[in-house]
Amino acid sequence: MISLDRLSKRYGDRMAVDGLTLRLRTGAVTGFLGPNGAGKSTTMRMILGLDRPTEGRALIGGRPYHELENPLRTVGATLDARAVHPGRSVRAHLLALARASGIGRARVAEVLEMVGLDAVAGKRAGTLSLGMSQRAGIAGALLGDPEVLMFDEPVNGLDPDGVRWVRRLMRSLADEGRTVFVSSHLMSEMQLTADHLVVIGKGRLLVDAPLKEVLAAGAVLVRTPHAGDLALLLAAEGVAVERRAENELIATGAPIERIGDLAHEAGIRLHELSAREASLEQAYQELTATSVEYGSTR
Amino acid sequence: MNEAGTEETASPPAPPASAGARAGVVVAVTRGVAAEWGKVWSVRSTWWCVAGTVVLTVLAALTLGGSRATELLRDGVTTVRLPATDAAISAMVFAQFTLVALAMPAITSEYASGSIRSTLQATPIRGRMLAAKALVVAPAAFVTGVLSGAAAAAATYLVLSAPIFGGLVTLPAGRTAVDLLRLGVFCALVSVLALGLGTALRNAAGTLTVVFMLLLGLPLLLLMSGAPVAMELALRLPMFAGLAFMESADNPTGGPLPYGSAEGLAWLAGWAVAGLAAGLAVLRRRDA
Repeated sequence: MISLDRLSKRYGDRMAVDGLTLRLRTGAVTGFLGPNGAGKSTTMRMILGLDRPTEGRALIGGRPYHELENPLRTVGATLDARAVHPGRSVRAHLLALARASGIGRARVAEVLEMVGLDAVAGKRAGTLSLGMSQRAGIAGALLGDPEVLMFDEPVNGLDPDGVRWVRRLMRSLADEGRTVFVSSHLMSEMQLTADHLVVIGKGRLLVDAPLKEVLAAGAVLVRTPHAGDLALLLAAEGVAVERRAENELIATGAPIERIGDLAHEAGIRLHELSAREASLEQAYQELTATSVEYGSTR
Repeated sequence: MNEAGTEETASPPAPPASAGARAGVVVAVTRGVAAEWGKVWSVRSTWWCVAGTVVLTVLAALTLGGSRATELLRDGVTTVRLPATDAAISAMVFAQFTLVALAMPAITSEYASGSIRSTLQATPIRGRMLAAKALVVAPAAFVTGVLSGAAAAAATYLVLSAPIFGGLVTLPAGRTAVDLLRLGVFCALVSVLALGLGTALRNAAGTLTVVFMLLLGLPLLLLMSGAPVAMELALRLPMFAGLAFMESADNPTGGPLPYGSAEGLAWLAGWAVAGLAAGLAVLRRRDA
């Protein structure tokens, strides 16, 4: 549904987005990961026709955003939940979006109920909490019942209930066959929600792969009295092995199940076989280590 | 936003100005107008601005009309008649700024809050978005202008009818109707100019400064300089163009304006179009 073709954005002599080429899958939640300043929001703005690409293009169903017949019925997006006139009620804000797209008043009431804001819909937006604003933003994205949904950091400011709600919502939207594209800098969140991961750093594509693959690329810790034998065996199978201690190995490049099976078949006794904690976090850090724009220097 | 902003980017097989495409533009702009109309009236500041314009016009008209009547009486002139709408027209030179405060935020508040992005998501073709805003702001300002003028003329007539003002004030039906209509048109054009400049500058403080200088500061400064070229320029700025258009009996030059109502309207409309064009040019080029 959404395809990016060498999408690039230059600010002065800095490439904010650098030759991004990818296709987003329908019926799946695609997590869009990257450190702050990696170009996630810029990419989303270019998809929505808000920022003009320096080079390349972003197409939705084969057309640029501004050529869509009725954009809100095709793409629903929330970039910044706080981007509502503080003196206008959420209902009035949504009503304006609905009118601009020929969507009826009843649908506004419907989405307000879906996000659980019907009680505060008449209040001025400036008086709402960040969590409520996030829900209001999501309501705006859902307004046109679109095939594509894009959310920029949707769980920011939400309480644990709200976070679970967003997770379930994205899951169900994808299960209905929609394309869901969610940016985040929270690995743990993506590990729970995404089917597919797109990771960028300094504007460049680092990973475009199913979540499972990215996780499988994570490291596995093995403790065994026969570390030498297992290391040889794994190396022969193309698994990268690092000997940590006399009886400890770190294996990368194979799923944990496969390492267990290999050891079992060779009759090697294992004392521990575990995925290294927060594997996505780790995989991500390894991936973006060289591309952190505003990292702290330790 | 070059490509995204132009209307001529329909897919190749479709002729650019086909009836279908034109109908599409009409539908999009009509929907945009409905959306913008709702937005303008859903914030309190709009209502405050309308009320403020009415109050300010009435107060300024009473002050200006009162001082003119007193001047005439002091000079012993009893043959001149003072149409009540004259005072309302002079008053609008000051009261127009509350209308600017109504028109300008239609765009500057969207940049301030970031909601311009959701507006453009719904109406991605930028010219249509700006057209919708202009089509909302102009009638709102027109009605406010007529209303303020009517209130000011009525108040002026009532007060200046008192014997101490010599009973010079008049309220002829035909003249009053024409003047009120012209006041409305003046207000509509000024508000479109403010909207255009707001779109070009994006920021409220900057826009207000430029609009204030253009509408009041600059013509008075040029007038004070006394140089003939400066005078000529000053007379083409929106303030004198507006006063000529409304056939004001009184203007800061002290003499009659060198051109008539029609030319005044042309200059004023020219400024409004220029402001809108400047806004559109920036809107299409810059990222939102």
